[in-house]
Amino acid sequence: MAEKKQDKNIIDLFIEGCRKGWDTGIRNMMPNVIMAFVIIKALNVTGLLKILGSVFAPVMALWGLPGEAITVLVSSFMSMGGGIGAAAGLLGSNVLSPKDITVLMPAIYLMGSLIQYLGRCLGTAEVNSKYYAIMVGIAVLNALLAMWVMKLLVVMY
Amino acid sequence: MDENKPVPKQEEEVKWYSYVALLFAIVFFSGILATSKEWYSVCDFTVLNGTFGKIAAANGKMLTFRGAGGNGAQDGFAFALSLLPAVIFALAVVNVVEGLGGLKAAQKLLSPLLRPLLGIPGACGLGMIASYQSTDAGAGMIKAMYNEGIINEDEKTIFAMYQFSGDGTITNFFSSGAALFSVLVTPIILPFGLIMIFKFFGANLMRMYIKYEHKKNGAKEAA
Repeated sequence: MAEKKQDKNIIDLFIEGCRKGWDTGIRNMMPNVIMAFVIIKALNVTGLLKILGSVFAPVMALWGLPGEAITVLVSSFMSMGGGIGAAAGLLGSNVLSPKDITVLMPAIYLMGSLIQYLGRCLGTAEVNSKYYAIMVGIAVLNALLAMWVMKLLVVMY
Repeated sequence: MDENKPVPKQEEEVKWYSYVALLFAIVFFSGILATSKEWYSVCDFTVLNGTFGKIAAANGKMLTFRGAGGNGAQDGFAFALSLLPAVIFALAVVNVVEGLGGLKAAQKLLSPLLRPLLGIPGACGLGMIASYQSTDAGAGMIKAMYNEGIINEDEKTIFAMYQFSGDGTITNFFSSGAALFSVLVTPIILPFGLIMIFKFFGANLMRMYIKYEHKKNGAKEAA
């Protein structure tokens, strides 16, 4: 395996990476983005997005974000790609600003795909399931704290 | 996400160019050269990623092919299409850096820091690097190391916590995340660095919790 890699020059590696990028983009990123856009459209049409926005406005205001940003965090929890898609969708409809997106960025990953990773990470590693709840808690705490730090960095920048 | 790539074998010698590749990757994605007008701005992701051509709209505004005011699945498709070049390009660069041994260099630099930073053996460096690329590979290595007796139950839990928050970091951030690179108001490296720092932070919370739990149990047994 390792030897085979040595034979590849930089051009080969680059092209191989491009193919991986195409596959990931088409097979993973695009479906997630389309799903997120459809969900946001549905939330918009039904008026639920506005309701969500006003209900969570006081909470999200802690990070200087509009209430609708909660949809990004909830989608992230299910899948990172979904979180990115939701962020992109809300950016597209001018609900979130580029600054908001930047603040949300670390959180999308730190609390990203936790539902999946309960199985794929903790399950595979055979972690004692009594720790699951606290580990999810810590990951979410990571995300919430990181948003404050990111907010500070955005202001400083 | 293609998180099933093979993991580099342990104990291979790290070549000098692997360190160069790692340094290059950090500079390339950091964005520190993005605003430079000099020739060396060539070493920057956003500079080389470029921009789409603009189309003049009827009202005189300049738009990309995505247009303005779209929504729903159709706009999602157009948007995803507009993100594709960044994802392709980012993963191409990551693949080159990886192929030149950049991650092995990172592993070598990280290993001695694991005991002080996380309270786990330096041998976990490989599993740590693997988890940046693939959630499944990283988790598989935790289990293998536990089975071989390299880490104990507590170290396993701490290491799993480290991986759990922001797992598959590099693969995920530079694929789906690349979609929003052009939107970010700070250099790309800032949110990425923050994720890396908070992974250590979270694992240390777990470390403290386990310590506290042992203390509590110890007190109970003594009573």
